[in-house]
Amino acid sequence: MTQAEARDQQRFGLMLQLGGVYAIWLREVKRAVRDRGQLIGGVIRPLLYVLIMGIGLNPYFRGEIYGEVKFVVPYTYLQFIFPAVIALNILYTSVQSAVSVIWDREFGFLREVLVSPLPRVSILLGKVLGGATVAMFHGSLVLALAPYADIGLTFASVAKGLGLMFLLAFALTSAGVILAGRIRSFEGFGVFSNAVILPLYFLSSSVFPLDPSLSSAQMRVVYPEWLVFLVEINPLTYAVDAMRGAFIHFNQFDPRIGPVVLIGMAVFFFSWALHEFRKA
Amino acid sequence: MSEAPAVTIEAITKRYGRTLALDAVSFEVRRGELFALLGPNGAGKTTLLHILCTILRADSGVATTNGVDVAKDPLGARRNIGVVFQEPSLDDRLTVWENLNFHGLVYGVPAAIRSKRIDDMLAIVELSDWRDKLVRTLSSGMKRRLEIARALVHESRLLFLDEPTVGLDAQSRDRMWRYIHRLREERGLTVVVTTHYIEEVENCDRVCVIDHGKVLAIDSPQTLKAQHGQQLLRLVPRDDATRAEILAAYPDRIVRDRDELVLKSDGDAFVESLFGKFGLRIRRLAVEDPSLESVFLTLTGRELRDQAASARDLTYEFGKRGGEHTK
Repeated sequence: MTQAEARDQQRFGLMLQLGGVYAIWLREVKRAVRDRGQLIGGVIRPLLYVLIMGIGLNPYFRGEIYGEVKFVVPYTYLQFIFPAVIALNILYTSVQSAVSVIWDREFGFLREVLVSPLPRVSILLGKVLGGATVAMFHGSLVLALAPYADIGLTFASVAKGLGLMFLLAFALTSAGVILAGRIRSFEGFGVFSNAVILPLYFLSSSVFPLDPSLSSAQMRVVYPEWLVFLVEINPLTYAVDAMRGAFIHFNQFDPRIGPVVLIGMAVFFFSWALHEFRKA
Repeated sequence: MSEAPAVTIEAITKRYGRTLALDAVSFEVRRGELFALLGPNGAGKTTLLHILCTILRADSGVATTNGVDVAKDPLGARRNIGVVFQEPSLDDRLTVWENLNFHGLVYGVPAAIRSKRIDDMLAIVELSDWRDKLVRTLSSGMKRRLEIARALVHESRLLFLDEPTVGLDAQSRDRMWRYIHRLREERGLTVVVTTHYIEEVENCDRVCVIDHGKVLAIDSPQTLKAQHGQQLLRLVPRDDATRAEILAAYPDRIVRDRDELVLKSDGDAFVESLFGKFGLRIRRLAVEDPSLESVFLTLTGRELRDQAASARDLTYEFGKRGGEHTK
């Protein structure tokens, strides 16, 4: 084989990979667009959390306990939970995309892809990118409620927010694929996903803050130690914190931690998913 | 490379736990051939096909498709084969066209050629009018046709069909075979098909009879019939005593002893002598000329149909024979 031929073949190989990844991505997006149920969920959830729970609890969130002011918080409750609701929507949609993995496996479509000349890594990449795109879209649906939560959106904050959303969606979709690989039936998945999504969400400092103005020791007085511990080891906490930084310019932790944790999660879960997928 | 056989299989062995699914299977499929793998369910046909499509790895042995070793270069091997699996593998929520376009993209068919070829393939399987319909609205026969069309979008020269007609009504089955024959003539395809419908392999170039993971015979249907074909007598004795007597009288001729007795026959003389001895003690007798059915029966001692009979079929059969009132 001459060098030119080798180069041509390599270029063909690359085009094939890109075309294949695009095809799988496109399929995921098309299926999601046609799935009305999923879209309805993506719209209802933010309405529920922001408009009903957020507005309802807003007056009670004043940083005082029994009339004694303990926290000085530079935001309202609505502003506080807004970024977390974005994370919640992404969480749900990403994990749901794992259902499509089970679906493909049980209904044979996976075979069609597995006998194609695409290597596993491209198949998984297309799948995860597709799921992540849909999840990111559902996350950005929440932005429509920004005026009600008194959140001013600037170009910079939206751009930064979308970037963080994508990283989170990519990481969580990969995690969903890993989950799907271990689940044999749809029924099992429903139970499992609720058992994973809701604890992750509530333990991510999403609906209540771990106040940064308190020292660690003081915080443990306000909250029981086990709760602080669980919140602090939950990677989603740092994702929510990063998004809070983007949208309300408030961070409970060092602002550099969030993006690092997100990138770490994305790389870690994707590699793990790839490992599982190659085995299967 | 174009001279290489379409498929070569050398001593392929595959085990699932303690069961030996394929036991040192070897054969070749020539270019342009319509090659049938015939065997009951569980014979190892699908396992063999999955190894050729690189979905499964053989425990030992070498297999090539289009001259490419399926174990050493699975991605290369996949590029030139088309596969239609036993279970449908279409995306129900995409349209007919979207399914084909997906396939074209995944196999790297350039855009300019892709749309033309998709249109051609749809025309051949007579689904052009359905191109923008969601696949979930198609009948199972149409889905099968679409899958064949899809397997050929990337101009594969070697097509694997795993039980392409299972679950289809007689009319759709005929139609399916018409497409397969037509595609073969027009495109010089090599087709490897598995089936347990014996009547379907009559039109194939060569048939490989496989059972319990072993190749029992490979040849053209005509030669198989000439070599292993046997005139058979199917008879139902009037009572158990007669059955026992017949079994004792012709121990070498018995092929099968279940509801009906199946005996090897070598012509009218034998039939006459049998009648001379048992006459009216035989309730029913049928003479069966050599067919692939009888080839299979003599090779395996089993009938293909045995495997397919479900509880429901058995009840149905029982009812047809008169049910309870036959006793």
